[in-house]
Amino acid sequence: MKKTALLFLALLFAPAAAGLAQAKVRIVSTLQDFASISQSIGGDLIEADALAKGYQDPHFVDAKPSFILKLSRADLLIVAGLELEIGYLPPLIDQSRNAKIHPGGPGYLDVSVGCDILERPTGQVTRAMGDVHPYGNPHYWTDPNNGRIIARSIAARLIQLDPANRAAYEKNLAAFEAKLGEKDKEWLAKMAPYANAKVVTFHRSWPNFAKHFKLDVVGEIEPKPGIPPSPTHTLEIINLIASDKIKVIMVEPYFDLKTPKYMAGKTGAAVVVTYPSVGGLPEIKDYFDLFDYDIGALVKALGGGNP
Amino acid sequence: MSLTELLLPAFVASLILTGIHAYLGVHVVERGVIFVDLSLAQIAALGTTVAYLMGHDLHSGMAYFYSLGFTFLGAAVFAFSRVHRKTRIPQEAVIGIVYAVSAAVAILVMSKATQETEHLKEMLVGNILSVTWPELFKTAVLYSLVGVFHYVLRDRFLLISMNEAEAERRGWNIRFWDFLFYVSFGFVVTSSVAIAGVLLVFCFLIVPSVTAMLFSARLGPRLAIGWSMGALVSAGGVALSYALDLPTGATIVATFGGALLIVAGLRRALWRQGTSALSMDARSGRLP
Repeated sequence: MKKTALLFLALLFAPAAAGLAQAKVRIVSTLQDFASISQSIGGDLIEADALAKGYQDPHFVDAKPSFILKLSRADLLIVAGLELEIGYLPPLIDQSRNAKIHPGGPGYLDVSVGCDILERPTGQVTRAMGDVHPYGNPHYWTDPNNGRIIARSIAARLIQLDPANRAAYEKNLAAFEAKLGEKDKEWLAKMAPYANAKVVTFHRSWPNFAKHFKLDVVGEIEPKPGIPPSPTHTLEIINLIASDKIKVIMVEPYFDLKTPKYMAGKTGAAVVVTYPSVGGLPEIKDYFDLFDYDIGALVKALGGGNP
Repeated sequence: MSLTELLLPAFVASLILTGIHAYLGVHVVERGVIFVDLSLAQIAALGTTVAYLMGHDLHSGMAYFYSLGFTFLGAAVFAFSRVHRKTRIPQEAVIGIVYAVSAAVAILVMSKATQETEHLKEMLVGNILSVTWPELFKTAVLYSLVGVFHYVLRDRFLLISMNEAEAERRGWNIRFWDFLFYVSFGFVVTSSVAIAGVLLVFCFLIVPSVTAMLFSARLGPRLAIGWSMGALVSAGGVALSYALDLPTGATIVATFGGALLIVAGLRRALWRQGTSALSMDARSGRLP
């Protein structure tokens, strides 16, 4: 009896012991974007895993039992903040019984801090305004400059949690920033011919992207996210696309294409599915692929037809 | 693009939908299988989801055939699950179970898919404003065929819906006719949900038929009342959604609800007047 108990205990602690031997920092992020950036900073010293998949609407994520397991083992939880995850994350954190990752704890990192956040509403925010985020637009990682700030926040926190590997983290951060700077020049150059091009988007996911790459978002198909457009608004957008000769309707991968395609059919604009997150497509494996893909798709649509 | 260009297809769509649904609604209400359309729509959505997981595009022909195939499966389930004599399990229970299970399985299937997960939701919501003329034409042809089918077999379907005992006495194979009924119903629901969404289709199906039942028990007047109400309320709903700048589908649904309330109130007022007149007659009759 005693032997079995001992054996059982040994089995129970074996994985933990193995974990100690490797001593990797276990990171769980809500979005694959942050997992990707963490991987660039942490390399072999960390293990990064994301809860939401890049193809899911980050506002509505169906919690799975594995989420709680992941959170209970995490050393660091990275969130987008600005209430993006408010719909599903708080109860998961509670259920994980992991004190480290509670807001304010050493293992809780809100990477929106320090980033350039747009559309902070002024005055009272009510549900009547639809799905509006009272702390500003939470899709801020679609600006590479914010990506740099996110990387710095992650590196700083990793150094706090794992000071022994400070040099490695600093070196990786420098490499990440150098590569991002280089790639950003390339992206900006590709988009330069279309500076101030007018586009229509489905949801308000792109203000940071538009600001950085100089796109002019003149309208949204769903003015109040989550509520179908009224006839007047539908008409406004269609006429706007026609009169301003707008070429591109940007749609996030998780929205139905019926309404955008209908509008495109009436006006000759192109519906371009652009991905707000890493993992949206199998080929979008990291933070750099994300911009490579989206910018490629946009340049193709903007460059098609008349110059 | 002008306002009429935008609103006219939506209005014509509601007329076409009213045409077939107000008729099918009579059957559905008589049979007491009110939520059968939600259930079939959910099975159809599950079919589309499975097609999607097999690598077909969501709006492709293959996806349509998958959803149709699943709908036929649902039709078979409903045809073979009429009220069970011994256990007295009501058919609504089976309909509810089919709804819940197919909705859950669709979620499970979608969790394995990598793209467009929100389509599942959107498939059942619909945007009647984004309907196009070619789409309407196809739908009108399909519904006419279903209409002809029901006209040819009207004796069978109507008797089974309205007087099951009599149909049984005549020795008809009720399950077979039920299967045909639910298959034709599935055809309609699959297309109309894609255009207008579950809520609106439910309204077109049930509200005109229930309104008509307030006034008549005979089929002819019921259809006449159902169709005129459907057409009027659709027009009113589309106009309201423009005037108040509200989402069109949801406005039409709310208008249907309001119209039913008003009509039911009117009927009650009329009925009271009628009875008080009657009782006066009775009193005056007794007076001498």
